[in-house]
Amino acid sequence: MKKLFFFISIIFVVVLAACGSSENGESSGDSEGEGNEDWKPENNVEIVAPAGAGGGWDTTARSVGKILEEEDIMDKSVGVVNKEGGGGAVGWSYINSTNNPHNIFVSSPPLIFIPLNGQSELSYEDFTPLANMIADYGAFAVDADAKWNDLNELFEDMKKDPSSVTVVGTSSPGSMDHMQFVSIAKKAGVDIKKIKYVSAQDAGGMTQIMNGSADVYSTGVAETVEQVKAGEVKVLGITAEERLDGEVLSEYPTAKEQGIDATFVNWRGFFGPGDMTDAQVSFYEEKLKEVSESDAFADIRDNYGWNEMYMNSEEYTEFIKKQTEELGTLLEELDMGQ
Amino acid sequence: MGAMEGIAQGFQVAFSLQGILFVLIGVIAGTLIGMMPGLGPISAIAIMIPVTYGMEASVALIMMAGVYYGAVFGGSTSSILLNAPGISGTVASSFDGYPMAQRGEAGKALAIAAISSFVGGTVSVVLLMLFAPMLSQVAVSFGPAQYFALMFLGLTAISSLSDGSTTKALITATIGFMTATIGLDSQTGTSRFTFNNPNLMEGIDFLVIALGLFAIAEVCFLIIKRKDTSLSDQGDIGSLRLSKEDFKEMRGPMTRQSFLGFLLGVLPGAGATIASFIGYISEKRIAKNPEKFGKGSIKGLAAPETANNAATSGAFVPLLSLGIPGSGTTAVMLGALLVLGIQPGPLLVQESPDVFWGIIASMYIGNIFLLILNLPLIPYIAKILKISRPLLISLVIIFSLIGVYSISFNTFDLYVLLFFGVVGYFMRILNFPAAPFILAFILGGMMEQSLRQALTASGGNVMALISDPVSISLYVVSALSFIVPLIRTRKNKSAA
Repeated sequence: MKKLFFFISIIFVVVLAACGSSENGESSGDSEGEGNEDWKPENNVEIVAPAGAGGGWDTTARSVGKILEEEDIMDKSVGVVNKEGGGGAVGWSYINSTNNPHNIFVSSPPLIFIPLNGQSELSYEDFTPLANMIADYGAFAVDADAKWNDLNELFEDMKKDPSSVTVVGTSSPGSMDHMQFVSIAKKAGVDIKKIKYVSAQDAGGMTQIMNGSADVYSTGVAETVEQVKAGEVKVLGITAEERLDGEVLSEYPTAKEQGIDATFVNWRGFFGPGDMTDAQVSFYEEKLKEVSESDAFADIRDNYGWNEMYMNSEEYTEFIKKQTEELGTLLEELDMGQ
Repeated sequence: MGAMEGIAQGFQVAFSLQGILFVLIGVIAGTLIGMMPGLGPISAIAIMIPVTYGMEASVALIMMAGVYYGAVFGGSTSSILLNAPGISGTVASSFDGYPMAQRGEAGKALAIAAISSFVGGTVSVVLLMLFAPMLSQVAVSFGPAQYFALMFLGLTAISSLSDGSTTKALITATIGFMTATIGLDSQTGTSRFTFNNPNLMEGIDFLVIALGLFAIAEVCFLIIKRKDTSLSDQGDIGSLRLSKEDFKEMRGPMTRQSFLGFLLGVLPGAGATIASFIGYISEKRIAKNPEKFGKGSIKGLAAPETANNAATSGAFVPLLSLGIPGSGTTAVMLGALLVLGIQPGPLLVQESPDVFWGIIASMYIGNIFLLILNLPLIPYIAKILKISRPLLISLVIIFSLIGVYSISFNTFDLYVLLFFGVVGYFMRILNFPAAPFILAFILGGMMEQSLRQALTASGGNVMALISDPVSISLYVVSALSFIVPLIRTRKNKSAA
């Protein structure tokens, strides 16, 4: 018995020692590399997914990390770390406080929403946009037996009485699913302040439109495909600029072609800490571009129903600035901005 | 005949050499992960996703499913031996499992847990195989109003989770309710009780509270009250053998909870944790001697152990027949299906019958493996109690700290764990029961959100809550569960 315990304690010591040394490793290589023409990571690169395992950020981080390593794009090994909490705020403050060019993170529109809603002190301005990788679009689904057949019919009813329709989504008000609906509805002339929106976690949105507890499900396009195929729900419109490719996807009408001139992109890309040198930025830009162009990543995009949308650091920064302005005005109209 | 052919094909996949091998890997990994407090199936499966890339989809899924139900199977071990729940679905197993181990019947407790897990797991797989496509309609039938009624029914049991004062049980339940409101309110996006701390924004994880109130509080208690003989210095783990009477006592809860647990698992959002609590409570309500519950009752251990394993199979109904994940773990598995190029949805059974039936068929084998693996190991695992007490106490503390850290890799959670440990210690010496706190915490969050969803959709009309037969009957059962025990005690009194 003593032997067993001895064995267990040895394992603990080893584990603890390993944890300790990796902490040290993270904080070292900080000072060097600045101003160099060619920057290369001296330590292992850490991709932070500021959310729990299994979500969109985590999946992106893990698939990109895997390709970086397996396709030999990066010589150093790449690890994915989950820093969950505060809708991303915990991960952001981790990146901000370690301020290490070896630590980068995945983000998407919540990096704009959460600071605008006053839920995080840090915003995109405290970080360096490195590259955008993919785009996803929103879809508005209703039960297959619902009386509406396109967005105009739905919005016509909502213009008469906005409270006659209940919209359900996964995120809380003032974030993704709510805002993508609001931005399209506003263009169509609906009084956005009176829209009834409920938030349902654990994929509850789909069941809620199927059993009639809610009317419209604001979600991502990929989530709707199988239910549409099975004839359970229909999609009234999507937020993309043009129709998407794919078996069922190509049948989804855009809001634009229905005469509502508005789009909404759920972009996803990588960011680094605030002060990064140009060499560091261009290093990541290049590597991420390689990932984006690889066949392996094309497969992953197909599997998840994501669209390619590479932007380099400069384009990305510009894009996010514009988005922040637009969404800020929208949130103010909803009396949600801070 | 499509279904029969599908089932045959599923068994072919599951009984192939590869199938059997990966079921075995899955359930072994699951058992180990389940035993470690804090480490749960969600993170284990998420980490496996990149590994399975390129593997045959049905085989990869068989392995992941094995990790999931293996963890629920193995999670009871640390609940019983150390009062440190391995996963949230086995918190209720410590209510009676730990007192049994303290009594020197650790071997028996583990055997009861293994057998009831096996029965719950196997009966529910039969139900899954026979009724999955039919039950998909049940899975989507619950709207916010019905969930509110279901949670309400769960809450009526708070008083029955306390042996002493009902007032004290209600006080701790209220605090549990309040704790559930910490974090970002999902209906308005407002932060509640977060004090601008981003670590509190997503609320407090259920397992952190459970480990604090049970494991850490217990350890504090043992350190301070050294003369107490519980937890170790026992040497004796008792016999593994269950007598005929034991089996007789287990039979009732195992039969009932296999069905009830499965049905609760089918409902998205309810899952193994809620099923285990409701299983425990409902058995206590109908038991002839409810006063034995909480003191090492066989029924009190068999009920949650059957229910949580049955619920695990139930959770596959919405996932496989609708493509709707009902829990965190099944949501991650849905992501895994996508990576493997399988589109989970209502057409899965037609488009990929090998995956659909393969997973179901593999669960039979998996449950048999789990039983064969776990039973002979019990004497060895239970020996952990023979470790001298100071070492065992430090081990529990270390395991709990590592487990909590691995939930979200956040040191803040460790402080929360210690805080609840201290709270749990004081609750214990002041005779405040911890179980109502846990129950109110887990039901409270969902109950509040369902109520507000229902009221928003109805424009504030309260009648929407009682407008359909399902919710009405749930309220009727709630009312009965209040009244029946009252009548019974009155009868007993007049008889005495």
